Amino acid sequence: MTEQVDAGESGVMEQGEQTMNVDEATIKEPSTGSVFASFVRREINTAILTGSFVALALTVFTVIIGITLVGSGFSAGYVTTVIELLTPLQLLVPVVAFVLGFNAILSDRRSGELDVLQTYPVSAWQVVLGVYLGRALGMVIAIGGPLVLLFIPIATTDTPRLPMYASHTGADTPILYLRLIVLTLLFALVMLAVAVALSALVSSARTAVLGVGVGLILILFGLDLALSAGFSIGFISDSRLLSSLALSPVSAFRGLVLELALTVTEGTGPDTASPVASLIGLFVWGGGSLAVAAWALKQ
Amino acid sequence: MEIQRTDERGDEESGDDERMTSTQSEQTGFETAADSTVLRATDIEHSYGQVEVLEGVSLELHEGAVTALIGPNGAGKTTFIRALAGLHTPTAGEISYSGPDRPRQIGYLPQRPAFRPGQTVEQALTFYASLVGLSSEQALSALDTVGLLDAKDRDVDALSGGMKRLVGIAQARIGNPPIVILDEPGSGLDPEMSLHVFQSLNDLAADGTAILLSSHDLALVEETADTVVMLDDGSLLYHGSPSEVIAEANATSLLDVFRESRRAEAGTVSVRGVTDND
Repeated sequence: MTEQVDAGESGVMEQGEQTMNVDEATIKEPSTGSVFASFVRREINTAILTGSFVALALTVFTVIIGITLVGSGFSAGYVTTVIELLTPLQLLVPVVAFVLGFNAILSDRRSGELDVLQTYPVSAWQVVLGVYLGRALGMVIAIGGPLVLLFIPIATTDTPRLPMYASHTGADTPILYLRLIVLTLLFALVMLAVAVALSALVSSARTAVLGVGVGLILILFGLDLALSAGFSIGFISDSRLLSSLALSPVSAFRGLVLELALTVTEGTGPDTASPVASLIGLFVWGGGSLAVAAWALKQ
Repeated sequence: MEIQRTDERGDEESGDDERMTSTQSEQTGFETAADSTVLRATDIEHSYGQVEVLEGVSLELHEGAVTALIGPNGAGKTTFIRALAGLHTPTAGEISYSGPDRPRQIGYLPQRPAFRPGQTVEQALTFYASLVGLSSEQALSALDTVGLLDAKDRDVDALSGGMKRLVGIAQARIGNPPIVILDEPGSGLDPEMSLHVFQSLNDLAADGTAILLSSHDLALVEETADTVVMLDDGSLLYHGSPSEVIAEANATSLLDVFRESRRAEAGTVSVRGVTDND
């Protein structure tokens, strides 16, 4: 066994061949950005650079490319692709977000690392946002990657673009497809925030599975059904219907795509959503979910 | 839990019997006057629902002293440790920190240390070091103190339970916290490694750190701890230097003290709220 040597004022403790620098002058509270960067690096190492994530990303890629090929193919143009992908993305994005995010906080809670983190000078907000930002990178890769890759064959397929879709005239421009990508990523990040909140609220694998099931049913079907029911019984008036759709993140996403990536192609016809209300709805869902996650961590 | 900070630096001299003794001062070579107090827990009580797990336990941690918490399973050791580490709020009582101002005030080793799989030992410790503004090299120097530097490139999930515990101890030291609290640091380690861990904790204490650990290895506790606190059924049974506790219990070793205290319940585990402890 080693012998203790006086640490001295420098704070360097020597134990035989072992040395531990404990120079207090070098110990400073890091900046908030540095803390976030640490959490993001950790998430990249443990949640993104993994076989599970690669399998998830490949699955999403296969599904998105498969839907396009089974549909009208790359030659159908941007608008047709947007229409063909809209409904599948409404289902696919929440599922991928929950797969990627349901364990984000829960794994640290179960392993005891949340307890250890409490002894470091980091706040619940820093933990939640750091974990979220790291996994958001994975979400962007998993969802945005295939959509961006799909852009290449559509853009390079040398076929005449449809000047019309159904009875509506419009231009088949890549701008509309890019809008779909941006709106899908926004929707994906909001869904990931919901999944992280769920992960912070549950304390066991069993409750997590239950939470994922109930959460997905509510988000994919429950909220839309509630809005439909509210409209049918008159709780939601005609004049408030479009803005009320923003209460459901899926409806908000669908409305934004219809308004900004499809309806604009013909310029007339009925409004399908309130873009402002839909954007506010998504931001409230995202920000509110992260606030819930931080609150859950403090409990 | 927010640990209350005080500026008093323990300026209250206590006449309580449950205080460090002159014997301890001689053992550690440190003054153990009240101004060396870095953490003071007063009348801590904790209940899980109707089950009272801690009943009026008080304790002070002092700079440069190793305090060992012993007692049978279910005595409330982990609950007490978690309260002192600020991980949960006790039902009643007060915990105040009066140590030096550092980014990290308390280092903590959980009973079953674990790390996110998918990262190396170096990555895991570098992450924690970065949270107190330290570099990867400084994280590795903490790993070096537990003799595990050669394993820095190993995946954390490929480590044995004992090695994970050593990495956990290295983690607890990161940031040079004035207090290091360890829940059974010797559990799962072979005798030689267990001895190494206890001696390295003594070395850390000699550098001025207050150490609180729980352990079932009573021989090692007797050999290395400055102060022993024995909990039984959520209450403080003995408190003093190992020799004082042994003398007070009229025993020959801490193991004897433990056996004597458990004689009535030999072979059973006291379950709070179920076992009749009267």
